[in-house]
Amino acid sequence: MNKGLLWRGVLIVALGALAVWRVSPLDDNLKLGLDLQGGIHLLMRVETQDAVKAETEKDMEVLRREAEDDGIAGVRTRQLSDTTFAVDGFAAEQLTELEQVARDWLGGGWDWSRDQDGLVFEMRPGNEKAIRDGAVNQALQTIRNRIDQFGVAEPLIARQGTESDRIVLQLPGVDDPERVKRLIKNTAFLEFRLTEYPWSGGGVRSREEILQNFGGNPPDDVEILPSQERDPATGRLLGETFYAVERQRVITGRDLRSASPSQGQLGQPVVAFRLSADGAQRFGEATGANVGRGLAIVLDGKIVSAPRINSRITDSGIIEGNFSQQEVMDLVTTLRSGALPAAITYLYDSTVGPSLGHDSIRAGVQAGLYGAAFVLLSVLVVYRLSGVNAILALALNMVLIFGALAYFGATLTLPGIAGIILSIAMAVDASVLVFERIKEELRAGKSIKGAIDAGFSNAMSSILDANITTLIAALFLFQFGTGPVRGFAVTLSIGIFGTLFCGVFVSRFLFDLVYANRPRAARLSI
Amino acid sequence: MDILRDPNFDFMKYRRFWIGLSFVTILAGLVGIFFLDRLNFGVDFAGGTQMTLEFREEPNVEELRSLVAGAGYSDAVIQRFGVAGSKEVMLRTPIVGGSEEGSAARLRAALDARYNEGGGSVDLNQVGAATVAEVLTQANPDAIAVAAATGHYQSVAAAVMAERKELGLFTSWDQVSRVAGVSAASVAALHRAATLGDFAVLGVENVGPQVGAELRQRGILAVAGAMVGMLLYIWLRFELRFAVGATMAVLHDVLITLGFFAWAGHEFNLTTVAAFLTLIGYSVNDTVVTFDRVRENLRRHRTADSIEMLNRSINQTLSRTVLTGGTTIAAALSLYLLGGDVLRGFAFVMAVGIVVGTYSSIFIASPFALLWEHWFGGGRRERGSAKPVSASPARP
Repeated sequence: MNKGLLWRGVLIVALGALAVWRVSPLDDNLKLGLDLQGGIHLLMRVETQDAVKAETEKDMEVLRREAEDDGIAGVRTRQLSDTTFAVDGFAAEQLTELEQVARDWLGGGWDWSRDQDGLVFEMRPGNEKAIRDGAVNQALQTIRNRIDQFGVAEPLIARQGTESDRIVLQLPGVDDPERVKRLIKNTAFLEFRLTEYPWSGGGVRSREEILQNFGGNPPDDVEILPSQERDPATGRLLGETFYAVERQRVITGRDLRSASPSQGQLGQPVVAFRLSADGAQRFGEATGANVGRGLAIVLDGKIVSAPRINSRITDSGIIEGNFSQQEVMDLVTTLRSGALPAAITYLYDSTVGPSLGHDSIRAGVQAGLYGAAFVLLSVLVVYRLSGVNAILALALNMVLIFGALAYFGATLTLPGIAGIILSIAMAVDASVLVFERIKEELRAGKSIKGAIDAGFSNAMSSILDANITTLIAALFLFQFGTGPVRGFAVTLSIGIFGTLFCGVFVSRFLFDLVYANRPRAARLSI
Repeated sequence: MDILRDPNFDFMKYRRFWIGLSFVTILAGLVGIFFLDRLNFGVDFAGGTQMTLEFREEPNVEELRSLVAGAGYSDAVIQRFGVAGSKEVMLRTPIVGGSEEGSAARLRAALDARYNEGGGSVDLNQVGAATVAEVLTQANPDAIAVAAATGHYQSVAAAVMAERKELGLFTSWDQVSRVAGVSAASVAALHRAATLGDFAVLGVENVGPQVGAELRQRGILAVAGAMVGMLLYIWLRFELRFAVGATMAVLHDVLITLGFFAWAGHEFNLTTVAAFLTLIGYSVNDTVVTFDRVRENLRRHRTADSIEMLNRSINQTLSRTVLTGGTTIAAALSLYLLGGDVLRGFAFVMAVGIVVGTYSSIFIASPFALLWEHWFGGGRRERGSAKPVSASPARP
């Protein structure tokens, strides 16, 4: 065997072996896309406008309180938009004092101007952007914490771009997608607030009853919240009741040091919690001063329960609310991961259950095998022994495609399989082009070796043009395409390089290997 | 074996007829798409919600329709799905009132109310392994020591879920008890704490109006970019008239296949776009091979008649065109017949597209190159000028 042939052989075998080594065992190294193995793909928007609005509300309140503390009387605040508010009602000579309060307490995040009644505050753009960024990053972290508790293998959680308010989430192989989606979206904003009416005991059936109690117009620091009552045995909703509660929060979810599932006195599932030192102190003061009153536990604006305070509580307690076991687990998970800074909207949601992906693979693989068998058979029938050459090149091509997929860590999706099918078609085509050309050259009277030489070199430009054109298309698709289209572009690009290598280099090598030592071979099986 | 030995058909002779035939077919497709709304956009592009459901018993589609209408979605599409005899149903609702999050939650609640007595308890056909493990650990039917219980029941739950993945949904407790590694006591405990719902949600896809618009835009950009890129390359490598011929052939294949696709009523979604891209790749490949031979022949016989040259080139590459086309169509057909519902639209595009693509490489691309030459100044050569034809460097 001559030296050139040897080197080519070594290169081919080494590449093939490398690919096989990289990709086996197949199950571990070939990542399947969500459409094949099942899973969740979510694109969500963090409603950062909510966070901006909440910040405005908070700063407005801070300003009012601090102004009052500094002896500026009659300060009224009024929110004009999500990023602006007006302050008036104070005496004109205290204007400079109020401005000093704003400078001291609003931390440079606001510009203000005077009008005839008082001051109009406007949030600075830098501050607004920081709030939005902070909200997205905090949401990202919170969601990451929640997913971690689920133990999903290889989750992908990322902000879409560095400026956007969008988060992309991909969770492969989730078997209970609805629960995960609920859990992620759960803002889990927990508050403890003292009840105002009824002072203690169960909620009332209608808002009207509470309004009557307050003479039709409840005071500013009181809010009416709904509570959902459930049947303790089945967990089914019974109906809605209402409470009037203080706006002031005793503690919130941020004051929790830990949360864990536990059981109440009747064995019902409850959440047990412990408070931070600071939280425990405030909680102790509030509960100590209000024994006999109800304490509403509010989750995302709804009262889950409003037990009566029997004695001073300091650093630990339970949250009960006719929860199911699963709800308790989910609540613990969300409480541990922290509250979301703003609501989340799912803009795109693709959930593939495990069995749907399962069916697709089974059907796709079966169809692929029959198709491939037919292709191989026809190549064999038409080209006989040379067909074996084409099939060997094709087999190596497949090995290389899967090896490259594993090497690049690319995921195989359904459109990706389509890309592989097109690659196979193009690989077969490359062989057909070469073989037809060799036949032509043989008919023109060339020797076998001469015909092989001429066949390859003449078919080369067709093969190159065809593959480069397709590669250009694949690059555009990768650049501009989304999800499935990209998966297609990846396998197609890999397949094109495989085709060029196998259909030309390997196939040529195989011919040379067979005919190198038989310069006078009488006929070529083609 | 030779597919065709020295074929010598006069493909160019009836070129006006072939172009006319294609024109009429394209027109029929366009009428179907633009005037009769035959193109059935999936949620990827139209936006909306699509749910794939599997039922325990074959569902009554009419009843489902009124159920879904009762939930506020009177223009929902409901159709059977999956292999013959399967109890799968696909529900699709359009975007309602600009809502981003879609109808899945309300549809599910409506289905639960009808088929699962309102839901509430643990439904073994909907929950995941984590919940099953929690239920079992709570009950501890196998009387395992506390320290080992969680691990034990997690593996039991995983086995139960693996079986459900195989089946789609459990239709009877017998099926649960047949799962290997699950004790009779565990099955009994599950039977007490959980129910077997009458349906399972196999998949949900929801595309809000914002994302739908973005997907459409990016899809169009990707396909347009790919086509322009290919055109430029072919222009660079060959000549403008060939680039035009190839592009016309690709456009022709896409339009005709799209027409057939629309009339057949398959769903047009992102996977279909991938199929059309596959088709574009194939079609260009096919055409380029023929043109490559034309270029080679032109280089050898500079003064030869264009029509004769094109005919000869098509004939010389004919056996390759037929063989490659035939095997690829066979592969696509096996995908269409055996590949299941998810791949059917894809396979349809491939099968029809490759027939059309093979046809266009033979009957359409070259006549168009010729027409271009006829219309836009390439005609000098026909009058005998010996302008060198190839723009590319000679091969080694």
